Amino acid sequence: MLENLGGQIFNGLVSGAFYAMLSLGLAIIFGLLRIVNFAHGTMYMLGAFAAYFGAQSFGLNFWAALIVSPIVVAIIGMVIERLLLSRLYKLDVLYNLLLTFGITLFLEDAMRLKFGMQGSPYVIPDQLTGIVNLGFLIYPTYRIFVIAASLIICIGTWLVIEKTSLGATLRAATENPALVRAFGINVPVLITGVFGFGCALAAFAGVLAAPTTNVAPLMGDDIIIPTFAVVVIGGMGSILGSIVTGFLVGVVVAMGAVFYPPISSTLTYILMAVVLLIRPAGLFGSAEGLR
Amino acid sequence: MKFARLLPLAAVCALLAPMASPPAPAGAAGNDQVVVANIGDMSGVYSALDGAGAVLADQMAIDDFGGKVLGKPIKLVSFDHRNDPGLANQETTEAIDRDHATLLLDYTNSATALAGAGVAKEKHVIQIVTGGGTDALTNDPKYCNPYTYHYGYDVYALAHGTAATLTKQGGKKWYTITANYAFGHALYNDVKAAVEANGGKVLGNDDVPLGTSDFSTYLLKAKSSGADVLGLDNAGNDTVNAMKQINEFGMKKNMKIGVMLLFESDVHALGPDYWAGSTVTIGGYWDLDAKSRAFAARFAAKNHGNPPTWSQFANYSAVTTYLEAVKRAGTTDPLAVEKQLVGYHFSDAFARNAYIRPQDHLLIHDMYLAQVLPASEVKQPWAYFKILKVIPGAEAYRPLSEVKCHLGS
Amino acid sequence: MLSNGPRTASRVELWLGVGLFALGLLLPWIVYPVLAMNIVVWALFAVGFNLLLGYTGLLSFGHAMFFGGASYVTGIAILHAHLPMPLALLAGAAYAALLALAVGALSIRRQGIYFAMITLAFAQLIYFFVSGAFIGVTGGENGLQGVPRGTFFGIPLQHDRVMYYVLFAITAAVVAFVVRVIHSPFGQVLKAIRENEQRARSLGYDVDRFKLMAFVLSGAVSGLAGGLLVVFQHFTVMDNVDWRTSGEVVMMTLLGGMGTVYGPIVGAAFYLLLSDRLAVLVNAPGVFIGGIFIVMVLVFRRGIVGEILARRDARRARARAEAERIGA
Repeated sequence: MLENLGGQIFNGLVSGAFYAMLSLGLAIIFGLLRIVNFAHGTMYMLGAFAAYFGAQSFGLNFWAALIVSPIVVAIIGMVIERLLLSRLYKLDVLYNLLLTFGITLFLEDAMRLKFGMQGSPYVIPDQLTGIVNLGFLIYPTYRIFVIAASLIICIGTWLVIEKTSLGATLRAATENPALVRAFGINVPVLITGVFGFGCALAAFAGVLAAPTTNVAPLMGDDIIIPTFAVVVIGGMGSILGSIVTGFLVGVVVAMGAVFYPPISSTLTYILMAVVLLIRPAGLFGSAEGLR
Repeated sequence: MKFARLLPLAAVCALLAPMASPPAPAGAAGNDQVVVANIGDMSGVYSALDGAGAVLADQMAIDDFGGKVLGKPIKLVSFDHRNDPGLANQETTEAIDRDHATLLLDYTNSATALAGAGVAKEKHVIQIVTGGGTDALTNDPKYCNPYTYHYGYDVYALAHGTAATLTKQGGKKWYTITANYAFGHALYNDVKAAVEANGGKVLGNDDVPLGTSDFSTYLLKAKSSGADVLGLDNAGNDTVNAMKQINEFGMKKNMKIGVMLLFESDVHALGPDYWAGSTVTIGGYWDLDAKSRAFAARFAAKNHGNPPTWSQFANYSAVTTYLEAVKRAGTTDPLAVEKQLVGYHFSDAFARNAYIRPQDHLLIHDMYLAQVLPASEVKQPWAYFKILKVIPGAEAYRPLSEVKCHLGS
Repeated sequence: MLSNGPRTASRVELWLGVGLFALGLLLPWIVYPVLAMNIVVWALFAVGFNLLLGYTGLLSFGHAMFFGGASYVTGIAILHAHLPMPLALLAGAAYAALLALAVGALSIRRQGIYFAMITLAFAQLIYFFVSGAFIGVTGGENGLQGVPRGTFFGIPLQHDRVMYYVLFAITAAVVAFVVRVIHSPFGQVLKAIRENEQRARSLGYDVDRFKLMAFVLSGAVSGLAGGLLVVFQHFTVMDNVDWRTSGEVVMMTLLGGMGTVYGPIVGAAFYLLLSDRLAVLVNAPGVFIGGIFIVMVLVFRRGIVGEILARRDARRARARAEAERIGA
């Protein structure tokens, strides 16, 4: 029983790892750029497909994909930002939500036309197959790797944003772009770069997902809505909030699945409703969006 | 008003103009053709097992028949229902009213099949469902009707074939993961009945939301339950994801895996090694024997070298069966054709030892218990299944005594 | 603030309304009755949705909980409780109104994106009830099937064209009511809130109460549309409660012109006609619809009706300036 519980908690941490990475990207893009990126799930999907395509056409292995795929998707994201999103900055923030929604529909169908609907194969890299014995638990090696990789990326990103001068510049640029520009810093380039980075995070999560989840055009669909919920629970725009909440929600949903599976996918929203009633700004958020 | 301003307006009108074709009153002009309408999933989750390949199979059936029946040319029209029963409803009506279709075909996705059945019943047009698996079409008096036929497989045959065999082979303790929707529940009920009828027991079951991609929690539960068989009462992407994680957790070492619904396209999605060893019941197979291979080769020549999935294969058979019945009846009148369809014994490349049962309009035919081969044993692309045994129709499908519909004698 | 509807001359609006009414009378003779009925029902849904988005300035991403949820309530009322159609429709609308009251009370104080996310969360909860908890009554993935049309105050509804005109009559009446609301003092306050909420508050209006009333009204109209859907189609499915349905009504409203009175109707018609064509012609519906949506958001934010009215306004302004210059 103890082993089972331990295993289930780890299952929760694995799905939480994905929520954390995805909501981190979303929170950065929203917190720093005020863009609600509905296409975030699509970037995750593109990341997984880039890994698959790289393996098929260039013999790219998993480790290389972890670096190449985020770069490729970041470029795609930056092109979208420069060409399309930047035209909407002077308007209400809800327009970029609508635009990214349209982009999602477009890209998902385009990927379906190219790759088909049933999914494309991708295997766990040789070095990470098998199971590891942690003493109290026997668990697949690859999943331990996912948790570790996610923690490293998330904490690393948080450190950069909160503790480095680059991060300080970013935060300043979103609060007072004119002042920052007066210091000679190119604000639009900064914005594009940040958006690209957010997309890269999503793509990284996509590569991590490819070995254990079916690489199919709609794979982003089912994860984007819970990710939004996680960001809202954590407090929109709170970097730390999305990381902690991501892991937390993952574990809560896993526990729900243990005791009453039909409710598992709804727990996230119940949690969101409860948090919003008790603490409207989210668990880690500032008084944003309230009067 | 400058003309330039009118341009956008003109463009919109030009785009919408073709839609402004008034619906002709039913039964008017259109009797100079026989129209077959395929209403299937062309762009959604089932488009790989169904989609354009099914339409191709339909066209091949028409061409092989000679392109004409009763002296009239046969035309094929195709609609994409996008897994939206409302759209399927609309398109079925359009196919009847505008195109004067006398055969409505495919309906991959059980909800669209049921929606189509409602229209078929109301407008008196023959509907043959090859894609959707729900047994409500033939076993629920709310839906079964003289115009609707179920062709190729159904939930009962799938569950019984796989579950009965695995239990008889020694897998007495089962754990099932069920997709929490009607199709999944129907599978679960039939699996449980088959397991228990053969001396087994279902130790536990999880009703999992449709569209779940992470099955790790349920797999761990299955592992610790001590069951020797894991049953997957789901389909499509859910099955694919479950399979990926079954491999990840190394569950095939200690348990047999029973997959309830599987098509060649699903196996292709992961590659056969992931599925190797899984047992499944299928309705037909392109690589069954020389007869089926002959068709598959012709199909592949028009389909980028890919043979048909057994669902697409069922389409070919259904169209041929229909056209032959029309020929025998001498008319396209649905009730006259019905008399020629039911009870008529035949064997074609897809359906062997087949006949349509009069009481419920269900195609009774040989089903096949199959196992997925590992990549090393796959002799050519798409030849993923090894046929373990033939399940005769009488054994595979719901026995007459349990059928709740009574359409004829 | 979201795109303001242009200040429309009421004469243009009147002509548009008359024109649409006339088109509506002829619709089942121009396209298939089933498609025509779909257009009418979704047009009503979009009109209800626009009350909240275009006129109060609140984007809800969960309106499917009203539309789809009410379709189930009405369907179950007819199928299992054997209520006559008018009562069943009222039951659906009442469910939606009450749900809007509950959700609104909890969320109306939030702004913009937060409000959208909360409505999405509640819609997912409703989806769960329909697809999971109450699957025995709702039929789950197979949908709620076999709902008889019955009669409407004695008129039998089996024939599609008869059904259409009953739908059309109900919809036209409700749309007329919504138009009256928009032009009433209540509607003016809503517009003031949309333009500048702070100012409206400083003028002494209880902004939250007005927003809540708009939400409830919007929900009720959407719920009525859902009830009409299940009646004419004989069935309803879980997709109608899905977030993608919520997204579709947003697209229709944007396409037609949010913040215009009749824009949503035009948008719904255009979107459904286009989908119908795409289902037969092309195998890339997402590429087309997504592409159109992207273009709309970038350059056609005012929507079809919005663009027409804006050009009309621009022409008038120019004519007026011209006249002043000459006269001065």
